[in-house]
Amino acid sequence: MNTASTAELTRAILARAMELYRDNPRATSWLRQQATRFDDPLRLAVIGPSAAGKSTLVNALVGDGVAPIEPSGTQVMCFYRGAQEPRAIGYPAAAPPRELPAGRSARRLRIDLDGLAGEGIGRLEVGWPSRSLRELVLIDTPAVGPDSEPRAVRSVCADADAVLCLLRQPYGTDLDVLRAVHEHPAMRAPVNALVVLSRADELGAGRVDGLISARQIARRRRREADVHEVCQDVVAVAGLAASGGRTLGEPEFTALAMLARLPKEELDTQLLSAQRFGRGDSPLPVDAATREGLLGRFGLFGIRLATTLIRRGADSQPALAAQLVQRSGLGELRESIDQYFVAPAEVLKARSALVAVDVLLRMEPRPGTAALSAELDRALAGAHELQELRLLATLQAERDLLPEDWREDAERLIGAYGTGLPERLGLHQPSGAEIYQAVHDALWRWRAQVENPALGVAARRAAMTVLRSCEAMAVGGGDPRPAYF
Amino acid sequence: MAPPWLDVLDDAIQACTRHDRPDLAARLRERRAHLLEPKLRILVIGETGQGKSQLVNALVNAPVCAIGDDLTTLVPAVVEYAETPSGAMLMEPARNGRGAIEDAASSARRLSAPVESVTTRANRDAATPGGEVVRARVGLPRALLEAGVVLIDTPPTGESRSRHTANALTEILRADAVILATDATSELSASECELLGQVMRICPSVMVVLTKIDIVPDYRAVADRNRARLAKAGLPASLVPVSATLRLAAARAGDRELNVESGFDELVHRLRRDWLEQVDQLNRRSVAAVTDVTVDQLVAPLHEEFAATQRNGAGDALARWHAAGRQLEQLQRDAARGQTMLSDEVSDLTSDLEFDLRDRTRQILRDVDEYFDVADPSNTWQEFEEWLEENLTAVAETNFGWLFDRFDWIARRLACHVAPERDDLVPDMGEADPPVEHATGLRKPNVEKFSVGQKLFVGMRGSYSGLLMFGLATTVAGMSLINPISIGAGVAFGLKSVFEERGSRLKRRQAVAKTAAHRHVDDFFLACSKETKDTARTLQRMLRDRYTSYAEQRRAEITASAKALKQVIDAEAAERNKRAKEIRSSLEKLSALRQRVRGVAGPVRVTGGAPRELTA
Repeated sequence: MNTASTAELTRAILARAMELYRDNPRATSWLRQQATRFDDPLRLAVIGPSAAGKSTLVNALVGDGVAPIEPSGTQVMCFYRGAQEPRAIGYPAAAPPRELPAGRSARRLRIDLDGLAGEGIGRLEVGWPSRSLRELVLIDTPAVGPDSEPRAVRSVCADADAVLCLLRQPYGTDLDVLRAVHEHPAMRAPVNALVVLSRADELGAGRVDGLISARQIARRRRREADVHEVCQDVVAVAGLAASGGRTLGEPEFTALAMLARLPKEELDTQLLSAQRFGRGDSPLPVDAATREGLLGRFGLFGIRLATTLIRRGADSQPALAAQLVQRSGLGELRESIDQYFVAPAEVLKARSALVAVDVLLRMEPRPGTAALSAELDRALAGAHELQELRLLATLQAERDLLPEDWREDAERLIGAYGTGLPERLGLHQPSGAEIYQAVHDALWRWRAQVENPALGVAARRAAMTVLRSCEAMAVGGGDPRPAYF
Repeated sequence: MAPPWLDVLDDAIQACTRHDRPDLAARLRERRAHLLEPKLRILVIGETGQGKSQLVNALVNAPVCAIGDDLTTLVPAVVEYAETPSGAMLMEPARNGRGAIEDAASSARRLSAPVESVTTRANRDAATPGGEVVRARVGLPRALLEAGVVLIDTPPTGESRSRHTANALTEILRADAVILATDATSELSASECELLGQVMRICPSVMVVLTKIDIVPDYRAVADRNRARLAKAGLPASLVPVSATLRLAAARAGDRELNVESGFDELVHRLRRDWLEQVDQLNRRSVAAVTDVTVDQLVAPLHEEFAATQRNGAGDALARWHAAGRQLEQLQRDAARGQTMLSDEVSDLTSDLEFDLRDRTRQILRDVDEYFDVADPSNTWQEFEEWLEENLTAVAETNFGWLFDRFDWIARRLACHVAPERDDLVPDMGEADPPVEHATGLRKPNVEKFSVGQKLFVGMRGSYSGLLMFGLATTVAGMSLINPISIGAGVAFGLKSVFEERGSRLKRRQAVAKTAAHRHVDDFFLACSKETKDTARTLQRMLRDRYTSYAEQRRAEITASAKALKQVIDAEAAERNKRAKEIRSSLEKLSALRQRVRGVAGPVRVTGGAPRELTA
């Protein structure tokens, strides 16, 4: 099996393309961008309708108050990448990019946008020191909704390797945005999207236990066909509580702790509604401005959750922060991102790069493109990881390609639920012997399917891909990652 | 005295019946029955998770409608007044014959259930496949309900997977007023505005209730934006922000202040002031809206039909009529071309045939000449005669065979051209007898034999000059005139002239035989070519008649069908004009009805100004 890594192959093709177009400055710069992007961490775009909590979620993921940045009141595409020092570069639509004065105070990004006043800004790039940005570049996007122009969706598609689609409601038309994303040729596969119920606390009307039922809803939704065909998973996150937890400051903790010391009934009465809690003449021991701030940062649900957690023993700022992150569903989201995006990042990026080269070859044909195009096709068809991605997409689109239980098995083996060995084998913390046994079972099972005359040609080809995944696992042995990583 | 809107409604029902729309009539009749009831049916609608059930619960201060974080309400729940709390599930009327008889009285089966769990059970039943529950009914002793309010909690709209979505929309037809629940965490969505627009066409009394204001700090801004959005969409609905959580908490604690804070005080007040105390106006508006929609539905197909009648509707027949005319022309052109083709082919054929015949006879003549150059006709005539006859017969047969083959081919080609679909049109040429009789009847020419006497006479005459010439010469030598030399010379001369005579006689005989043969072959050629030409002409005539008659027949058919079409077109035009007149009169009647509808609605707009001002 050819395990010459997809990354090398991609680099080789990028180099060939660069050679081919070396007299074309536009194409060269485009290719150079792709090459840089390929070396960068995975780009994850956060999209969703307006007020779905995109910036809140970006803050929660970064762990600091970096979003939103709204030059002259309009939202722009904003890239957050890891850096040593806070810095920001603005890319005006019709001027060279320019460094903007940026700094950090009280865990928040301070950025001076005055220099850009009056210029239409195409996008912003923010460098921010954060552990979370080491393996991800986060993209905060302008709101895309059913009524927004398709250009916004398209630019997201061109710039992102994977998508987090934020929904306020588990049902309704919001999912159309994600469908629009998948109509873009660069994104045509549900292998790089997660749906996030980003305001999960509101599903439970702000009850402290609201998130538990929100999680159940997410799980239920994940199994439904209309969701399943556009994304890999549905995760419920209480955005405000999550970002509050990630950026919890000492004064806030003190205020919350003070509130938690009140008798439960009294606090509950005051927490009945947001208005009541924020009222100026409230008998609460915290002044109105602080309360206003807490409401804005945590939401009513966040405050209820935080005070309950403090009462239950999370009596220090780090403990409360950790509990908030965990209870808000952010931990689960991070796990999902790791599992679905960060682990197969190489493949997702390679896919984006190859598709970009493909677009270039189609747009600007010249002598020699045919050969490169053939090589590209070979790479796209030959790289097993890409084949897995493609099969995954096919399996999710054509539900009846394989019989029901075989499809489940195939999806798992080719990495629908994560590309690590245990995830592929559906085992929980397996021992080496168990892995060996499971891999060999799968190998025999699928070898039989490849030659099963009852299956159609397409189904047998799918089985062949699954078998190759099994073989890769067998070669990889006990290594948690298959041999081709 | 019946209120004026009732007359309008009855007229509308009659119009529906007249226009053969029993479905609309049934709908209006149902509406009429509901309007005559003193109760005020308020439908609570909204998208999923907007807090509809909780709103109903908070209005009646009792957790009667099941609530949950996910899709919960699957069947409508009707909450109405009862002296003691009671619950019931209504089943779908059984569809089989026996069931129909059993349920004839009630038309739907009831199943009582505890009041606190009736909706939960109904929803559970609806979620299972084959569930029969169509609605839950809850009776509660509440002042608001006693005043005549009936609250109907509905399954979420816009959720196509629920089999009761359609029900939710049909429920609107039965409602006197509608509350749209939308939660304060987000602004009114486009789909909600659209839904509201649809609802207001059927049921103009609508209130938008902003729910869950307790978890949104700045709900007032949301409310303002929603009001602006409603105004922009031209939807005259008032908006009331409420919090069911606060209301229920207030009820538990008996806290009046909290109740005011929940917004329900205001909501109940508005329900009473705007709706309960204005039932007549609500009814009028509702009748006006429903009738208007119904008239629209009646008018639309009429307009369409009218437009169709004006469009010179018999397009199909007319097109076919035109097509028939074109077909006729085409037929004529085809026929003319066929005739030309036939005559061209036949003249080609005759010239070919004549050449062939002449060529073959010439070949025979050449053979004859060669033959008689050597043969003596007096000896071989019999043999020659047989040979010649055989050859000429063969020529005649070949030539004729060719003629028929060619005609067969011509006939097929023509048929293919004139009527490709009718292969029975190709005549069967069969095999005609070639005119072989012309080959026989060769008369033997008069060939004289060279008899012994003649030979003697010729020999004598030839020998005379030799005898005399040599006798005279020898007399010079003193010999007598008759001497052995002269006699010998005379014999030699005599023999020579006999031989010469025999040769020239053979030549003459051969020439005579040749001439006879030539004449015979010439005769044969003449007769045979005449025969061929005649046959060709006969065949040509037959073909021509055949195709002409076919064309005639086709023309007659097409003309007949065109005539029939013309009649149909004329009849249709007359019919259409009649129908157009009918439609016009119907439309006039309907527009008169619409005028009256407007008249019913008209005063409402004036007197209804007060609440509208308040709602703005």
